Amino acid sequence: MAALLEACRLARSYGEGSARVDALRGVDLRVERGEFVAVMGPSGCGKSTLLNVLAGLDRPSSGEVWLDGRRIDELSETALARLRRRSIGFVFQSFNLLPTLSAVENVELPLLLAGRGRRKARRIAVGLLDELGVGARPDAAPSQLSGGQQQRVALARALANSPDIVMGDEPTGNLDSVASREVLGLLAAARGRGQTLLLVTHDARVAAAADRVITVRDGMLAEQEGLQPARRVTLPFDPPARS
Amino acid sequence: MTATVVKLAFAGIRTRLLASVITVLLAATATSTIVLAFEVGASARDPWQRTFDAANGAHVLADVPTEADARDIAARPGVAEADEPTPITTAQARLPAGTEALLIVGLDSRPTVNVPIAVDGAHDPGAGIVLEHSLADAVGITVGDTLRLQAPSGPVDLNVVGTAISPSVSRYPRQNPGLAWVSRSTLEAVQPDSSQWNWLAPIRLVDPTLERAFADDVFRSFPPRTVYTITAGEQRENTLIETQPTSLILTTYTIVILLVVFTVIGILIGARASQQRREIGLAKAVGLTPRQVSTIFTIETTTLGVVGLLIGFAVGVLAAPRLAQPTFATLLGTPTIAPNPIHLVVAAIPILLVLAIGAWVSTRRRSRLSVVGAIRSGAGRPGSRSRIARLADRAGASLPLALGLKDLLAQRGRAALLSAAIAATTGSVVFALCMKATLDAPASNVVSDVPAELPALVYTLDGVLLVIAVTTLVAVTILAVREHVRDFGVLRTVGFTPRQVTSSLVSAHTAVAVVAATASIPLGIGLYIGMYGAAGGDSSDLVIAPWWWLGLVPTAAAVIVSVSTGLPARIAARTPIIDALRYE
Repeated sequence: MAALLEACRLARSYGEGSARVDALRGVDLRVERGEFVAVMGPSGCGKSTLLNVLAGLDRPSSGEVWLDGRRIDELSETALARLRRRSIGFVFQSFNLLPTLSAVENVELPLLLAGRGRRKARRIAVGLLDELGVGARPDAAPSQLSGGQQQRVALARALANSPDIVMGDEPTGNLDSVASREVLGLLAAARGRGQTLLLVTHDARVAAAADRVITVRDGMLAEQEGLQPARRVTLPFDPPARS
Repeated sequence: MTATVVKLAFAGIRTRLLASVITVLLAATATSTIVLAFEVGASARDPWQRTFDAANGAHVLADVPTEADARDIAARPGVAEADEPTPITTAQARLPAGTEALLIVGLDSRPTVNVPIAVDGAHDPGAGIVLEHSLADAVGITVGDTLRLQAPSGPVDLNVVGTAISPSVSRYPRQNPGLAWVSRSTLEAVQPDSSQWNWLAPIRLVDPTLERAFADDVFRSFPPRTVYTITAGEQRENTLIETQPTSLILTTYTIVILLVVFTVIGILIGARASQQRREIGLAKAVGLTPRQVSTIFTIETTTLGVVGLLIGFAVGVLAAPRLAQPTFATLLGTPTIAPNPIHLVVAAIPILLVLAIGAWVSTRRRSRLSVVGAIRSGAGRPGSRSRIARLADRAGASLPLALGLKDLLAQRGRAALLSAAIAATTGSVVFALCMKATLDAPASNVVSDVPAELPALVYTLDGVLLVIAVTTLVAVTILAVREHVRDFGVLRTVGFTPRQVTSSLVSAHTAVAVVAATASIPLGIGLYIGMYGAAGGDSSDLVIAPWWWLGLVPTAAAVIVSVSTGLPARIAARTPIIDALRYE
């Protein structure tokens, strides 16, 4: 498999002098196209920072990030925004839906940004909501939806432009066990359609569904410290791989 | 508990400097307009009295057909002092702007009652002529110039030897024809036909309070339309009428400014209360009742209002003499500063009421939230969905504009108040433009009777309103930006560029400003027509500003709003995404 995402000697620090915190310390990472990678580690170890830097939401202090053969850490804010709208879908723990837009409007936003016509964008957004099980309430405001429903809408928004990679920061962290299971099934389905997944999680079930688990400790990957990577586990809700 | 509430209120003032400054500015502006309206008239009363005393002014000035009539009046009971009757006639004068009629008074000797007071040059006309000071100023004649009067026998050239004022004469051209003093022999040369003369009888009474009764008695004793009398009170009113347009304009602006104050205070406090739902929740959690929470905001706002009142009172008192200046072309001495504490009280009542009610109403509803609901809210509460925004979306508005409108109009109350503040401000600009059009309408060779300071006053007040509106817009934008920093982060995560994020905020505010400014055009015209009518203006003289002037109002509003909202929006749009997403 060709590498979709690569990080080389990635470092990110905050503050200066004695207040300086090194959140990432020379991380090397390679994610293959179509791979499902889970990132685990204790709180404060730097896994969210790693995800943010890889998604172009934050800039590294040093090192390089490459996406589909293109170096992205040096791109301008505008170029990064254009890259995110087509190539990266992002799911947050706290959903981060826009409160003044309806569910379907939240989903169609990236489609409109990508230049789709309004009608087509609406059709695709409604189809995605149907597929993710919230098609019955497309015009509901986020505040009118349950946590699980909001995360489905957020997932639909992340998947709207069929990005090369979907990244998630604790996407099941705010959900109960039933909703977590459902969202995980939807992520697995996306992966089944060939999309690459990179999820930060504390949830063992998510890790178990991944092709590969990387562990972050003190701003470094455990593998780099010579730790044993997690093994692949197949769960009952895993969809069959696309032929 | 009262001490705690007051302490919390004053803590709020320190931490919200911009909103506090705007509140003080609003209260000060409203106060100064109210105080100015009162003080402008008051500041001219003392100088008129000084002029009257210096001129040994006439309690009654009678203009009668014959010298015998004048002597008859002077001999009536109650007269303390009377001068020799003085002939007066009309002559055509060639002035720099064209030929105009002049009233010329023929003085035999130095009068003792209603004496002209020299301002420049000589007081005795001798073989020349002394012009009334405001007339000389208005037509641009100075001492030493030659004035040509048309006499039946031919032109008579007279040297202008001086200018003078009189308490019985108001400012030219309100006093029209203008007045001049010549010697009796010059008057006879200009108008030899004595049947064309009238006679002035300046009378001082033993009891000045009977001046009205004396004048009425004189009036009744002559055939109708043969005699004209004016009392000292009427002379004073005629002179002080110069301040009426200023007072009228100030009253209009007071009303407009109070409306703007109400809407702006509503916006500021409402927005701040929304932003501070968490603090309100915490305050309630430690035991404050909704009433006490509202009281904190009300105390804070009214305290700032009191500061603004004092500043506005000082500004009003100091500026009033300057605005009363036109009257002093005909008066002796300089305008006096006459601060009257009653004016401060009169200004304080409406302003503090508006501030207190605005603060109370806008926080009362928000302080009724449940404690948990208030504390939980880190970001702005989702608003209602707007039909207008959906219509704009369907009409093909750009994505940033459609999104910005959805967001702005979701807070219906604030959007309405913002529109009202913009409409009130631009409406006052339309009012000013119409007034300027009316002032510009007369032919250029006719001297305007509008004080030169009046347009300047109107533009100054417009400028103040504009500053208030722009400052408010900036404050509202900053509040809106603060509320939406996290949303901006989300937008950029899904692919909005910083420019698109900025555009969504700026374009929505600009669109609302354009609509409000356009709607304010008929509002401003209606206000102008109403005020013009209330001032007793002749409707045939009323001129509405040209359409292209009015068309500039929404354009200017769009530019100002774009510029004033652009900077905070750009700063917010460039906040690192991670910081934006963590923002609460």
